This record gives sequence, C-alpha cells and structure tokens, in this order.
Amino acid sequence: MSNESCCANPKLGLVYGSLLLRLWLAVRAIQTGLEKFSGTRAADEVVNINGKANEYGLTAAGSIKQYALTNYHGVPEALMKKFAEEPLMLKSALTLYDKMLGPALLLLGVTILFGIASRTSLFLLGLLYISLTWGLILIKQDEGVSWLGVHMILVVMALMLSENNRFTLLKKW
Amino acid sequence: MNLDPSSINRRDFLAKTVAGVSAGIVLGAPSILRANGEGAGDQIRVALVGMGKQGRVLFEAMSNIPGIHFQAVCDIWDYNLKGGMAKVRALQGHTPKGYIDIDEMLATEKGLDAVIVATPDFWHSPHTVKCLEAGLNVYCEKMMSNTIDGARAMVRAMEKSGKLCQIGHQRRSNPRYRYVLNELIKGQKICGQIVNINAQWNRAVSSSQDIAYNPKLTIKQDILTKYGFKSMQQFMNWRTYRDLSGGPISDLGAHQIDIFGWFLGAAPKSVYASGGNDFFKNREHFDNVMAIFEYDTPQGGVRAFYQVLTTTSAGGGYYESFMGTEGNIRISEQSAYTSIYREDSAPSWDSLVERGFLKRKPAPPKPEPAPGVIASYASAAPEGFELPGELSKQPHQCHLENFFLAVRGKAKLNCDARHAFESEAPIYWVNPSALSKLPIQFTPAQLSV
Repeated sequence: MSNESCCANPKLGLVYGSLLLRLWLAVRAIQTGLEKFSGTRAADEVVNINGKANEYGLTAAGSIKQYALTNYHGVPEALMKKFAEEPLMLKSALTLYDKMLGPALLLLGVTILFGIASRTSLFLLGLLYISLTWGLILIKQDEGVSWLGVHMILVVMALMLSENNRFTLLKKW
Repeated sequence: MNLDPSSINRRDFLAKTVAGVSAGIVLGAPSILRANGEGAGDQIRVALVGMGKQGRVLFEAMSNIPGIHFQAVCDIWDYNLKGGMAKVRALQGHTPKGYIDIDEMLATEKGLDAVIVATPDFWHSPHTVKCLEAGLNVYCEKMMSNTIDGARAMVRAMEKSGKLCQIGHQRRSNPRYRYVLNELIKGQKICGQIVNINAQWNRAVSSSQDIAYNPKLTIKQDILTKYGFKSMQQFMNWRTYRDLSGGPISDLGAHQIDIFGWFLGAAPKSVYASGGNDFFKNREHFDNVMAIFEYDTPQGGVRAFYQVLTTTSAGGGYYESFMGTEGNIRISEQSAYTSIYREDSAPSWDSLVERGFLKRKPAPPKPEPAPGVIASYASAAPEGFELPGELSKQPHQCHLENFFLAVRGKAKLNCDARHAFESEAPIYWVNPSALSKLPIQFTPAQLSV
C-alpha cells in the first residue's frame, strides 16, 4: 500500500527537500561569485571584404564574455559610486567588502554544496545576505531587498531542515 | 605634399611581413611579436615621462602590447609618479625607477630604447628634443608643442638624430580611418568629388570645468616654479593658459584637423577663424572656436569647417564629415558617431554591400511632408550605410603598436614628426586669426620647418 511504503522511510521527503535547498543556495552563491570575475572583450574576428580577410584589422562588432582574475569587481561600479556617497557607509569598509564579497560567495557556496559545516555556512551566508540587504536599503533598491528577503527565507528553511541533511563531508557545526 | 608617410611602402611592408600570418593580423603587433619569438631579452625598454591622465591612457594601451619593459617613470607630481610606478608594478611585477626630473632620468638610466612623452604641451618640445639627442626613440603626445617653433625644433631634432619620433595623432593608425581613406575614398571613390568637410568636437560645460585637486597633494612651489607653473591650479589646468598650451583648438581640434590634410593629401591655403570667451570669461584661451580652412586639391577646391565648443555638447559629440557629390562619410573614433550616406543621385552601392565593403543601415521611416513645403526643393533622404567592421582595441593601441614595430625596424611610422608638423602647422594660425579677426593666407614659410 502506498501509505506503508511512505512510512517505511518517513523522512525521505525532508532529506530531498534539504538537499534541493542546499543545491539551490550553493549554485546561487557560486555562480554569483563567479560572475564577479566575468568581463567582456571585443570580438577579434577579422571581417572579410571582397572575399578575403581585410588587411586593416577591422573586426566584427560585438563582445565576448570571459572570466579572469583581472576582471574582478565585488560591488558593481555603478553601485560603488552610490554607496560611496552614503554618509553611513565607511569608505574603508566598502573597499574591504568589495574585495571579499566574491571570494566569500564562492567559499560559502562550495562549503554548502559539499556539506562542510552546513549550518555554520548557511548562517554565514544569511549574514552576507543581510549585509547586502542593508546596502540596498541605503540606496533605496527595494526590489533587490525583496529578492534578498526571499533568499533569507530559503536559508532559514535550509537551517530548519538541517536535521535531515545528508551527503555531507563535515557534519559538525 | 604627401601627408601619408606610409602610403608608398605599406604594401611592401605587408608583403615582407605577411608570410605565415594572415594579412589582417599584420597591423596587430602582438601577433608579430609573438610570431618572432621575442623573449625578455628582446624587450623594448621604455621610460614613461608624464603620468597624468593622458600618460595613464597611453600606459593602459601599452599594457596590451607584449615585448615592452617599463624601466622608469618620470613626473614632477609625487602623486602621479607613485601612481604610475604602482601601475607598472601591478603589470610587470617589478617597481620601476622613479624620477622627478627628466635630466636626472636620462643621465641615470642606461639601456633605454624609447620614451613616451605625455607631459603638458609646452614641455613636449624640450622633452622630446632632449630624448632624441640622448639617442632615444620618442612617442610624443600631440599637439607637438604650444608654439610652432617648438614643433619645428622637434622635426629638426628627429632628422638630426636619425631616431624615431612618432606624434600621437592616433587616428593615423586606426584601422577604421585607414580603411575609409584607402578603400572607400581612394579605392571605391564613394564620395565622388569631396567638396566640403565638416568636423566638430562639442563638449558640455560640465565636462570642461577646471580640474580640482586635493590641497594636501599640492606640489611645493619651488618645484612648480622650476618646471614653469605659477601655481598648483595652473599645473592642474595648464590647457587653459596661453603660455602652456594652444587651447581647445589644439587640444581637441588637432586630432581632427589632422585628418583633413591626411585625407585630402594637401595643405590648406588659408584659414579664417572666430572665437570667444563665451562662458569661461576668465580663461586665457577661447572656449569656443570656429575655423574655415580652404584647400586646393587636384579634384577642386574644398572648404573645411571645424568647430570646437567647450560650452555645449549639442550637435552630437565629435566627428569628421567628408561631404562629396556622391556620398558623405562621417567618421569618428566612436562608432556611434560614424555614418555613411549615399546621395540619391549617385550610382547604386549594392555591389559594395554584396562584396562586404559596406553594411547597409536599416532605412529610417520616411517623414510626412509638412504642409506648404515645396517637395521639389528638398533632396531625397540619403541611403545609410555603416563600416563593415570595428576596432577591437583601445584607440591609442594601434598607433603605439606602429611605433614599437618601427623601433624594431619592422614598420614605418604612421605619423612621424615631419608629417605631424605638416598637419599641425595650420592649426598654430587659428588662434592668431581669431584674435585679429582676419583671414590668414598661408605662405610657404608659415607652414614649413
């Protein structure tokens, strides 16, 4: 009977739910962190004129996305300018935050993905989202605040499901 | 007068260097440098003289060119000097030697191959001449000098020393400009007879304000005095002083008026200019200047109008427009300002589009005729086209690549000091014409070294 098979492993749904939340939050953090190392370079495909590659070096219009350490930008430039104008924002703290945001997202994303100190990692990710929320409140980005609120709900749900956390490398913390 | 120093030998140069590399990549120095397997020992050792705004622009462009070792940095402002040294360290992993005084640098530094001069205009000539006399190749920003005699001295020093002296009219190495001249104007003759040139650089008041500085970073007065500045304010805003620069007509106009002579292959026979302090009342230079140059070309007479406005951006940025009987090419360093139009009466350009010489622009909607307008008096809307490709590098990079290729003996300079002088000489007479409110008919002596 279906009820019997369900009761044979009553926590399976919670385990799957915990795993899916962990994966979602990990992917969100890792890819967001990676994007901070992304940039574009101009396309360098030489265009053909009169049936052959032009000798002037004219290239096709457009740009190509690429990832590199030199592309790193923690806080987008447009937002940096807005934050810098905020009296409550310490410039030194902003500079430090700009430097650590990308690596922090990557690090927390990886620890959550592999289940390394999942609860502490989720807690730290929540703190990171709170810091982002504070910044967006400062510059009146209400839509962004709402999105981060949804993220916070997911983090809290993941913490609540932590008893059912499986497939972890370090269960302590 | 040949205003294109590379027009004769470019094909020879290409033929010699093209083996194994596609011709389209030849003008890109990185490919050539790598293809020749040049290692650290073959690096060109460079000193950077002047690390202000323009010096940093050139450095950024050079940072994309392999085979360069930045050995020394020189700037009288500690802030620029340390900033420049830090940029070199970040790029190359070593800290270059730093100097306040160029004489000390030239006396101390051994093994330099080239110097990049990006100091204020009134220092261009003394610095360039010193470096050439020291046996170094020089890339110097335009305008060559704040005086025509200063520019003459640079030509003489280049020719006496036998060293290279490239002037920073970077459009001369820009693939888009070279393509327009060689393929569209000379090759396909899409303009027909060029009868007029119209160019401008319009800049808003907000972009033309005095440059502010942190008082804590003020240079000591004895250093400012030694290097020709009355105050820190003058140091920061040297472009607005008559003894230190040629003002907006040379600062912005030189790049574009250079294109007139280069494309027409001729020097102007006269200039008539008007200018005024329409907004910045206390500046020594005019904030708005308009000039008309007249040329005699084998095709016929050409009038070239140029305006530089530092009080309004109305009219759409900066460009040079070559207006002919069959077509108009409006070109700019910015793709957004570039457009090409065919006169309705001109032969079809369909085959040019099919062969890739041009791209067709989407046709704009036809405007409804206004009541009372006599239709036969209005020209039909011209057909719009675009260049087939873009420049995928920083605008100064190609010109610097050309310079470094020339240092390696693999190219001719696209704008050496003599050709730059031929292009710049008429510009030195714009302010005198505007001040006297009189046209100037050029004599050979006025335009020669």
